[in-house]
Amino acid sequence: MAGQTDPHISLFSPQEVEFMAEDEMVEIVPNMNMEPLNFISGDFGRFLPQIPTQVPLWLAVALKRRGKCTFRPPEWLSVDNLTQVLEAERESQSTFQALPFSYVEIARLLFDHARDDIPDMYMVRSLVEDIRDVRLHKLETNLGSFQGTSAVKISNVSAMEVNLVRPFVRRALEAFYKHDKPEADVDRDTRSSRQPREANNEPRELQCPCLSEKKSQVSSVPIFVELPEK
Amino acid sequence: MSQYYNIDDILAEEELVPAVFQVAANVRLFDSSDDSNKVEPGSKVELPFWLACELHLRQAVSINLPTCFNQKTREELAADAAHVNLKNRCPYFYELGQKLLSLVGDRTIGPLLLATFQKRYKEVLIKAQTVALAVAPKFLTLLTREEIKLYEVAQSSMAAFKKWRVGGPRFQKAYVIGKKRKPLD
Repeated sequence: MAGQTDPHISLFSPQEVEFMAEDEMVEIVPNMNMEPLNFISGDFGRFLPQIPTQVPLWLAVALKRRGKCTFRPPEWLSVDNLTQVLEAERESQSTFQALPFSYVEIARLLFDHARDDIPDMYMVRSLVEDIRDVRLHKLETNLGSFQGTSAVKISNVSAMEVNLVRPFVRRALEAFYKHDKPEADVDRDTRSSRQPREANNEPRELQCPCLSEKKSQVSSVPIFVELPEK
Repeated sequence: MSQYYNIDDILAEEELVPAVFQVAANVRLFDSSDDSNKVEPGSKVELPFWLACELHLRQAVSINLPTCFNQKTREELAADAAHVNLKNRCPYFYELGQKLLSLVGDRTIGPLLLATFQKRYKEVLIKAQTVALAVAPKFLTLLTREEIKLYEVAQSSMAAFKKWRVGGPRFQKAYVIGKKRKPLD
């Protein structure tokens, strides 16, 4: 699947990544009575007051906006857990802690729409930001250690982080691959297949659209190079 | 690698390479001192790569290494690759090197390109993530085309992420929505 915003460098915009993260399931506690909702992606509900239920994040946000539910923040989004994760992230320079694949986006959506449902909101928020910064920095240091490998394995990198470095890594690996190939075999083959054309016995004219002594001034006058008979 | 419509590939072939004529040839429009339009065998000329390459295939010229692959540059690259001004020497350093690889019997070029890229890549990576846009131009003057592109993609994805993080209007209003309808006459 290619990015929609900028297909040229195959990058999803952060908004698109967020859109995809909205399919993650969260737990909400409705405060209204409603029949189940039947969607293509599945049936959600039925909604009964004070009975927790699982819905996609986008639906939860929509209900929350109308004041029809409260969020149950996911377990990983607690001060205790996040403090632990942050410490572990800081300790090891090469491995990443397991967090939900789209933790950046989920956290952001919850902070935007459900600030009253998260205990210690400000603490949690700054912890998530710290974790994100530490991880990003670590990811960059990891990328710096490329030495021309054609396969890279870093586990537990989240959606937003992957998306952030994707265009750069793609280009860099392409370049590494190009220079790493022993002796550019392909190129050599094509050239040598053209070699037999050398030295026929009649003089040839090689017509060139332009020839420039200096690169800046390209003359548009055709030139002819006449090769003598052998 | 060498795609027909790739503009960088075309421009890379415009780079001048020194060549030595092996045969006498009639070359018009050379900047020769007399009007004879003759090139003696053994005369040194700088030709664009595409022309030198074709002439080389016809065994009319032999190609030498351009100045950006000379000993002095190599020593500088070995000393501190990240701060050598490659743009000045040859903005298509890597591409030209790749092309020359098969024409010039110099086996050290391949490893040289790889080693250079390895060292300079790190610098690009660090600068792309940290340096503010205002400071960047000074650093960009050192880079070859390929490295500049690498830098730009890293920078643009970082900028997009920062913009998203800061937030702002979540929905973009369609252009027509804000407009007032003109009353019909």
